[in-house]
Amino acid sequence: MKTNLRKNSKAIIILVIIAAFLFVAARGMSGRDVLITVLRGFSTGSVTFLVAAGFSLIFGLLDVLNLAQGTLYMIGAYVGWTVYVRPDTFIDVLTPVLLILAGFSLSALWGRLASRIQLAPKARKIISWLLILAGFGLLALVLTSYPIAIWNLNNYSESPITYSYMADQGLRIIPAEVTFEKISPFLAILGLLVSSAISAFGIALLNRDESKSQAINWRRYLAPAILLLIGVLAAVFNAQITGWMFAMSTNWLFVIAILIAILSGVGLGSLMETTLIRPLYNRPIYQLMLTLGLGTIGVQIVQAVWGRPEFVWPKPEFFTGTGGACPATNLADLLEYNCSTVFLLGGRVRVYDEIFIPIVGIIVLIVVWILLKRSRIGMIIRAGVQDRQMVEALGINVRRVFTLVFALGVGLATFGGALAAPSTGLTPVMGERLLLSALIALAIGGLTSFPGAALGSLLVGLIQQFMIKYGQIGIPLPFTDAVFKPSPPLVPASTVLLMVIVLLILPGGLLGSKE
Amino acid sequence: MSNILEVKNIHSFINQFHILQDVDFVVPKGSITALLGRNGAGKTTTLKSILGLASVREGKVIFEGREVQGMPPFEIAALGIGFVPEHRAIFRDLSVEENLKIAERNKGDLDRKRTFIFDLFPDLKKFLNLRGTELSGGQQQMLAIARALVADNSLLLIDEPSEGLAPVIIEHMIDAIRQLSEQSTVVLVEQNFLVASKLAKYFVIIEEGKSVASGLMKDLEADKAMIHRYLGAA
Repeated sequence: MKTNLRKNSKAIIILVIIAAFLFVAARGMSGRDVLITVLRGFSTGSVTFLVAAGFSLIFGLLDVLNLAQGTLYMIGAYVGWTVYVRPDTFIDVLTPVLLILAGFSLSALWGRLASRIQLAPKARKIISWLLILAGFGLLALVLTSYPIAIWNLNNYSESPITYSYMADQGLRIIPAEVTFEKISPFLAILGLLVSSAISAFGIALLNRDESKSQAINWRRYLAPAILLLIGVLAAVFNAQITGWMFAMSTNWLFVIAILIAILSGVGLGSLMETTLIRPLYNRPIYQLMLTLGLGTIGVQIVQAVWGRPEFVWPKPEFFTGTGGACPATNLADLLEYNCSTVFLLGGRVRVYDEIFIPIVGIIVLIVVWILLKRSRIGMIIRAGVQDRQMVEALGINVRRVFTLVFALGVGLATFGGALAAPSTGLTPVMGERLLLSALIALAIGGLTSFPGAALGSLLVGLIQQFMIKYGQIGIPLPFTDAVFKPSPPLVPASTVLLMVIVLLILPGGLLGSKE
Repeated sequence: MSNILEVKNIHSFINQFHILQDVDFVVPKGSITALLGRNGAGKTTTLKSILGLASVREGKVIFEGREVQGMPPFEIAALGIGFVPEHRAIFRDLSVEENLKIAERNKGDLDRKRTFIFDLFPDLKKFLNLRGTELSGGQQQMLAIARALVADNSLLLIDEPSEGLAPVIIEHMIDAIRQLSEQSTVVLVEQNFLVASKLAKYFVIIEEGKSVASGLMKDLEADKAMIHRYLGAA
């Protein structure tokens, strides 16, 4: 304990200074304003933390700077919005996605088969590329004639903005169903499965020497079978599930939307790691360019599909009540009337934005903390952050843990996006500012330290919110009558200033250990 | 099979550097073999090549009758090779107990080996809840060796166990390695010739990336000229 104190003395001094600074900063405000600003700081900090924690986990273990993290945060928001506002689109898309995944998850089995086929290297290359091209061609053919109910960006009354607005008013437009016309359902399902299986076989044939000593057992059939089953069920009961989701309470729909956003992040993360990042270990510059490029591509794709304009994600019923004893003054009223705001210290506090988001942030912090400290995977991650070779020398397959950590890190980012969107709204560029905040938070807290990510995010959130608040009420300058109102661009600048000060004194960040 | 490990004319690279240029030796089962040679001769790289941590571009590494060169390190290690690296590589963020626990290959490995490990290194028992880096150099070395004993390893690769330790602790370490060699075969890299000669039955001398001599340790001890030639004043 004593040595710990001495080792961290600098960090403690800085924390005391920051606390004193915030205390002084808060003196110019009423208690009500301080409370609300601190709560907003926690809220911003929680969302920043989700992105920063994922970034830091990935960087700590894999040494990969995932600059696409901001875009993935944004994608999480859009995926969650789609599930929440347009469940019909979600169910329509679910079937092809699951069937394609089922086809590709057979590749472990194909590897075995591919290694039995004896071919000249050149012939193998040509055949595998032909298979891949044929597979993807067929896939494109089936997908273009696969019916998916979707909004129409060119018609305002069918645009995402209108759907969000109507949902916000509690009026759900049930969009017209689309049906199989160009292609029979059976043919479509078969086509998706066959085409993805063919491409997967082509890929397995192409790098067949990678999969040599893998034993085959029934567990390997489990993942494709489950994906296939859910995919087919979603196709067969499409109309029923859609109707059921439209009729569902928005609270449950919200929970489903958040879960799907997390799952989509986990899926995207494992896909990114296994296909794109894995060939580029030991080539940091290429990784940077790759993740940066993926981030930009992601923004473009989202703009093309969901459109450029900003729209809202209506909050679920649980956070939108206004009648009865709202704004609530006690917990019983809050739970009974689902108030959107509560009275705290004489000020009105929004329940979702300023109470719910911080609570979720703290829960995630605790859950990930327990995962890191108590589970075997967590132990391997903590050890691998320090010395990957030694972990491998103990007989542990670190690569598999890599995929898991990447998936987890991206899942945290998409979770953050889906959590923040009902409060901030959705735009295709919402991730950029957040990535910057997260990077600054990590620089302040220590790049590979998990508690550092939490602390840094909290500080960044608090400072941003205090600057915004002072932008409204102004700081009286001493010895003059003038009032200084920080302009909005000073909000991100203030966090950069804090980062510079911290890094000058502690180059590793407040809680960082590795340079 | 009398040889647990055969290293056949290997050429190894670390990054683009051609470090091992024809290293060739065998390790008889149930004995201690010492790899000797000057600083930078390639002893550590030889250990890393066996585990696949350095890439073997030519030659063969045969462990228990199975060619392992080219396999990923975790698969080679899982065949039953324990590694105690040069600067110990204790995991900083893990407690002493976790440092042992992470080496488990099957659930319950640590519980089965607990008494054996604590008989060898009674000190560790007192420090189970400390962080790995709060230990002294000697204790860290004990922990590094203990970690290699948790899983059932038939071969232990131990790199410089006496480096930077006080003489009393070196004595203790020698006793411990002698004891554990009754259960597993040991390949030892050691700068301190005195330590090596006390422990090892066989020796291999590596010079500029080549294995230049090998045989029984007691013959080497008698041959002062050879010691002087390859190992400097010893």
